Amino acid sequence: MTAFDANWSLMTPEIVLAALALLVFTIDFMTGIHGKKPFIGRLSVLSLLVTAVLVVVTNSTSGSIAEVFVVDPFAMVFKLIILIGVAMVILISMNFLDRERNAEVYQGEYYSIMLFAALGAMIMVSSADLITLFIGLEILSISSYVLAGFKKYSRPSTEAAIKYVVLGGTASAFILYGMSFLYGLTGSTSLLEIGQAIPMLFEEYTFVVMMSFLFMLAGFGFKISIVPFHMWAPDVYEGAPTPVTAFLSVVSKLAGFGIILRVFFLGFGGVYQEWAFIIAVIAAITMIAGNFIALTQTNVKRLMAYSGIAQAGYLLVPVATVVGDVGINMIVFYSVAYLMMTLGAFAVITLVTEDTGTSDLSSFAGLYQRAPYLAIAMTVFLVSLAGLPLTAGFIGKAYIFFGAVAGEMLWLAIIMIVTSVISFFYYFGFIKQMFMTDPRPNDKELAVPGSMQTVVTVSLAVTVILGILPGLVLDIFNTFNWMAFF
Amino acid sequence: MVPVTFFLALAAILFCIGLYGVLTRRHLVIVLVCIELMLNSVNINLVAFSAIGPFANITGQVFTLFVITVAAAEAAVGLAILIALYRNRNSIDVIKHDLLRW
Amino acid sequence: MIQNAWLIPVFPLIAFLILLFIGRFLKEKASYVGIAALALSFIVSVLVLFERIGGETYTFVIEWITFGESTITMGYEVTALNAMMLIVVTLVSLVVHIFSREYMHDDNRIHVFYSYLGLFSFSMLGLVLAPNVLQLFIFWELVGLCSFLLVGFWYFKPEAAAAAKKAFLTTRIGDVGLLLGLVILFNQTGSFDYGVIYAAVENGLINDTLITATALLIFLGAVGKSAQFPLHVWLPDAMEGPTPVSALIHAATMVAAGVYLVGVMYPLFLASSTAMTVVAYTGAITAFFAATMALVMTDIKRVLAYSTISQLGFMILALGTAGYVAGLFHLMTHAFFKALLFLGAGSVIFAVHHRQDIRDMGGLWSKMKITSVTFLIGALAIAGVFPLAGFWSKEEILASALLNGDGFLFAIALITAFMTAFYMFRLFFKTFTGEYRGGDHDDPHADDPRVDAYGAADVAEADNPRDESMDKEAHVPPAEDHGHHHSPEENSGFMTLPLIVLASLAVVAGLVNLPFMGYPLEGFLTEGLNLGSQPHGALWLAILSLAVAGSGIALAWAMYYKGAIAEDFFAKKAPGVHNLLLNKYYLDEIYTAVFVRPTVAIGRFFWEMDKSIVDGMVNLIGRSTSSTGRSFGRRHNGQLQTYGLVSILGGIVVIALAFVLRGYFG
Repeated sequence: MTAFDANWSLMTPEIVLAALALLVFTIDFMTGIHGKKPFIGRLSVLSLLVTAVLVVVTNSTSGSIAEVFVVDPFAMVFKLIILIGVAMVILISMNFLDRERNAEVYQGEYYSIMLFAALGAMIMVSSADLITLFIGLEILSISSYVLAGFKKYSRPSTEAAIKYVVLGGTASAFILYGMSFLYGLTGSTSLLEIGQAIPMLFEEYTFVVMMSFLFMLAGFGFKISIVPFHMWAPDVYEGAPTPVTAFLSVVSKLAGFGIILRVFFLGFGGVYQEWAFIIAVIAAITMIAGNFIALTQTNVKRLMAYSGIAQAGYLLVPVATVVGDVGINMIVFYSVAYLMMTLGAFAVITLVTEDTGTSDLSSFAGLYQRAPYLAIAMTVFLVSLAGLPLTAGFIGKAYIFFGAVAGEMLWLAIIMIVTSVISFFYYFGFIKQMFMTDPRPNDKELAVPGSMQTVVTVSLAVTVILGILPGLVLDIFNTFNWMAFF
Repeated sequence: MVPVTFFLALAAILFCIGLYGVLTRRHLVIVLVCIELMLNSVNINLVAFSAIGPFANITGQVFTLFVITVAAAEAAVGLAILIALYRNRNSIDVIKHDLLRW
Repeated sequence: MIQNAWLIPVFPLIAFLILLFIGRFLKEKASYVGIAALALSFIVSVLVLFERIGGETYTFVIEWITFGESTITMGYEVTALNAMMLIVVTLVSLVVHIFSREYMHDDNRIHVFYSYLGLFSFSMLGLVLAPNVLQLFIFWELVGLCSFLLVGFWYFKPEAAAAAKKAFLTTRIGDVGLLLGLVILFNQTGSFDYGVIYAAVENGLINDTLITATALLIFLGAVGKSAQFPLHVWLPDAMEGPTPVSALIHAATMVAAGVYLVGVMYPLFLASSTAMTVVAYTGAITAFFAATMALVMTDIKRVLAYSTISQLGFMILALGTAGYVAGLFHLMTHAFFKALLFLGAGSVIFAVHHRQDIRDMGGLWSKMKITSVTFLIGALAIAGVFPLAGFWSKEEILASALLNGDGFLFAIALITAFMTAFYMFRLFFKTFTGEYRGGDHDDPHADDPRVDAYGAADVAEADNPRDESMDKEAHVPPAEDHGHHHSPEENSGFMTLPLIVLASLAVVAGLVNLPFMGYPLEGFLTEGLNLGSQPHGALWLAILSLAVAGSGIALAWAMYYKGAIAEDFFAKKAPGVHNLLLNKYYLDEIYTAVFVRPTVAIGRFFWEMDKSIVDGMVNLIGRSTSSTGRSFGRRHNGQLQTYGLVSILGGIVVIALAFVLRGYFG
């Protein structure tokens, strides 16, 4: 089969999103580059929602374009996560960009680059070929570099961007270097063919196969910020505009998990036993270091960075312990939970830190008195991140935990649960500030704009509903044959 | 004919030089150039495998073209950020940019 | 009615939701919403109990989640044990709701208080009705959260905020064990359902080591929740919460959840003699140590708190010595008389303008007749005086310790029973007899060693710069000033009615398991369960236990009423011991040094490591390139190149580890 008689309609959502992103870009030109453009924000959200609908519709015909670009349940769910995530980030951004102190940002460009980032992430999770995967990854990464530096007259923002671009470029080089050996050994860039060849190749070229695995692990590990490739995250998170921080910690990270699963399960699935232990060790150090360092942080954005590192550690646990569809169930469920609770938290963080002008933890002082709804919602998000019952975070963690125990990795399960108890200490820091401290004298009641209200309410509803009725999505996931496109 | 391992060794050396440069040079432009160096070492690998590897075929060259394109985009964005940074700080010395820290 | 048992937790939930949304408009009227909800729950519970007595266990479940091949269900179940617990929880909760109407009426957040109480009642009832351990765990965490909210209700008092945090985090330590135990059980049996687990244990599907391990892990959860040694430290501090909360959560219901947990998982414990021994000794040690500390406390609520710990130790001891019915029987009677004592204490505290030191009280007998009489009944009941409730249940525990335990356990139990009688009557005589000592002086005991005993968890904050701002903002005392600074007098019916109800229960609750009626409760609870025969004591044991109680009361009477022995007689004789007790065996200090500081230190260590690795890297680069060599001393972080180097070296370490461990070089 050649690529040209393939079923190109499978790519409809991506093509539509690309067209809409260009449309947004064009409208921006026509309306002059400066000024506030909330309508472009709304148009972007609309574009993402349209694309999300298309993703669901086209999934009924799962298949692939020359086994390079694939549509399967895995791609669909991750695309929905990405699209909803970006839509919520844009809703947060609309409020963020509305403020005087962020007037320097060119709004139209901001939104369209956000859309291109979503496009890159979509291509990434839909790819079953190293080249496609790399292109998707770079579209996402390059857009992220730009977004991190979008406040171009702000010193922290540009510094974050340069750190991100240099380290991100290096990480890309590592991934590529690893990929080049895979190609050399198999003569193919298709993950399916690589997957078939790997068990035999491993016997013959153990060293090279493991080298290439580890180079890719280092590169992808950078993108999802796991220890020891995490050092950039706190700095970049702190410097980047807050909605972009939300984007990096949610969309970028989850899309990274998407390709990790694709590459490692499809490509290296045959030698699972050989690398599972390495992942387990990395997951363990990631959980330990992330949670413990978060204890010492007083800057909200840095704290969320370390918290995000720790969460990435939890997400890695099933990669190391459970093979196949059940493992993907766990990761996808936790990803949905993580998306909602983290974006909800970031919505509140954006509102509060922008209002008080500081990202110190004390900016949350007396939030309960200033905006009771926000404080309660934030508490639910934090409690979910920490993993208390009746929240999606608990179900997700418990599910992963069951998997680790069933996979006979008791030590990893214990580390997971102990570190999650430690995480209570720093999440409590927030709760204490919100409920048990009086607001600072000049802090008035906090008005919550509509777009924020939407994000917080949606996140809150999903976090709680999935905490009480996880069956709603788990039952659907159970029916999926995640990577069935061939 | 030159065996493929020679090309791989060259690529490995180039990769290491690039990495060393990224980690040690103070001039940000040179740091960005060193990233290009690393990406080019990947290109050498791919082209070598494509021409005389155990499974020589055209895919590796296609991959190389994509890598070159992406490297160009990345360099463009990197330089743009660099200029923004220079405007703010009047310096492109790596070690001066440590506003974001612990 | 038994099919409608789900209504029992739903009423308080509805009350919670109503108060959450429109509570602020109701203000004081919020209390009626709560009272009505609990009254309905209580009525349904009574109906359910009657139906259960004549009938069968009722279970209703729906599928909740499917994990691979196993399905987890949610639903409710009415067994003999939880039918009894439902009565206890709804009744105590109801009287506490009524009591709080008066006790909290000056607080302008009374509606919030009632909404928390509703949420707590919902969670506790949900815990009791749970048909499987996972659902139990979920509600278990939820009651912990409610406890946190209620202990910290007066969060503007720094002590209350610290105590809330300490309570929550200390019990979390136990919960780690509990969750781990549950998951191992699930992994072995493929189900969380009690029935499946019992069957698996009985049929020997789980090996002995795992049974012991899971039993001990689950017991760790009970130790945290029921404030057993060594995790008991949070309960005395939790007394910073409003007194009705102490009566409801920290005496009658939530802290008994640990005992209940051991009760519902009893077949698992019975299958492991090691676990049973650990349970028995933990109970005995807790009972003893807590009682010794109760001897010297001067805060009325803290005496009761240590007494609660001690009595919970009794229950655990009974369960650990195969006295299933004895332990749960005591759980029920204790719930009534301890709630009574706490509410009595609340009534006293309310009357003497929120003072809690018994050295400031005295002579209240003539001023507060109802409170005094009911408190006396409670004290007699807990001391184990015939024919009050405590006598019957305590006697069974002693029998269980004697017949199935060893001499040591029995001796400890007896000594503790003696101390119980003594400290309760010390409290009674100091509070209600003699002269009223609470004149106009404000705080005569400012240098009391008690005051620095709060929150070991606070040390973490002292080290932590981000919390500094909070402690500085000292707050105005809670809005609980009643404006009537004249001498104490009896409180209104809202407060005395609950006391009367509970006092009558403290008198008659023992009747449900009377020996000469053939132990009806025992028949009810053990029906259908294979638990072996329950131990019963001979007549001489009953007489001995009465004698012990009597001598304790007599000693207290001699010291604190008659003055025949000086009050500080023992304190003078053995000042070291006295100080040790007063400082609660320095456990808070030890825990701070052993657990809290290291945790903070580990956090710092990792952080420093992140930093110092970076420093080291910079030095390394500095040496390798002359250009950076000069500047590394001053500016050494926030450097992107060192981040890269750390990542790469870290990656190399991981690679090296993997390669060495797995031998990929071959």
